[in-house]
Amino acid sequence: MNCFFTVVGLCLCIFVFCALYRAIFGPGVFNRVAAISAIGTKTLVLLLIFGLLYERVDMFIDISMVYALLNFIGCVAAAKYLESQGGIE
Amino acid sequence: MTLMILMAIICLLGGLFFFATATIGLLRFPDFFTRLHATGKGDTLAVFLSLLGLAFYEGFSLTGLKIVIIAVFMFIAQPTATHAISRAGMRSGLTPWMKEKKEQ
Amino acid sequence: MIVQSEDIIIRTIARILIPFIQIFALYVIMHGHYSPGGGFQGGVILGASMVLLFLTHGYEESKARMTEKVALLLSSVGVLIYAGIGMLCLILLGNYLDYSRLATILNVDAAHARSLGILGVEIGVGFAVMAVMFSIFFDISTGGFSPEDKDNGV
Repeated sequence: MNCFFTVVGLCLCIFVFCALYRAIFGPGVFNRVAAISAIGTKTLVLLLIFGLLYERVDMFIDISMVYALLNFIGCVAAAKYLESQGGIE
Repeated sequence: MTLMILMAIICLLGGLFFFATATIGLLRFPDFFTRLHATGKGDTLAVFLSLLGLAFYEGFSLTGLKIVIIAVFMFIAQPTATHAISRAGMRSGLTPWMKEKKEQ
Repeated sequence: MIVQSEDIIIRTIARILIPFIQIFALYVIMHGHYSPGGGFQGGVILGASMVLLFLTHGYEESKARMTEKVALLLSSVGVLIYAGIGMLCLILLGNYLDYSRLATILNVDAAHARSLGILGVEIGVGFAVMAVMFSIFFDISTGGFSPEDKDNGV
């Protein structure tokens, strides 16, 4: 079972790097905000898989819940700011 | 292999498949609004299935219940964030991508 | 001036989610001795919930919940709780912040008194951190001009 979780975690890491390409090269700031939100979502599942690999899930659950909260609030705040200021190319 | 572990493996593989399609969509789609389609819907379903699979692996305990609570929160909050950012993009003047008409 | 978001979806979802975020922040403060958390982290989550309220509902509808004056008061109350528990231990013939001396007035043994003392200072830290995070957000976003000022910077 540990081997399966390791493979899933490695695949998620590869997806994070693929989304990082869009965060760097995305034309405009809106693409970058969407890519950061996607990276945050994948990080949340990756944290829980780390908890299962180290057999201490109780510690990592609270951290991943807080990260989900902060990702949501950050995306809403960035959207409200960009709505009034517009995007810079 | 018990039933719970089998369902956990199936849910985790399903979540991984939807993460893959969402990331390919984020890279290959031609416009900002279409990329939001990919990451808003695909990532939400993928996170829900992955966390459900991990909750099946933990069983009926306190940690399993907490993982289900995180999954429900992500199911509510992620589409709202996508809606907020797409509305901001519409308001600040980004035009959607149109297919070019072929000149006859 | 923070204006209200005129979209009904974001306002409704924020109105549903904010009480649960605050309950989770209180859980993080209370369980700081066992799982990752404590006073500062719970205070940050409480401050983030206040920021979400102000972002989605604007200044007019949210000033019934939290104003800048209340934030200044709460930050002082938090520091007062922290220093007050320390002074209480000093009054009861111990060192500063020596929680085992609290056992004489609480009728518990020394280990329980230490645990309750740590919980008390964590609550004080939570209050102070929430008020300061809200004050920083408010001052930066409104540029220092509050509508409650008599002369508006003229």
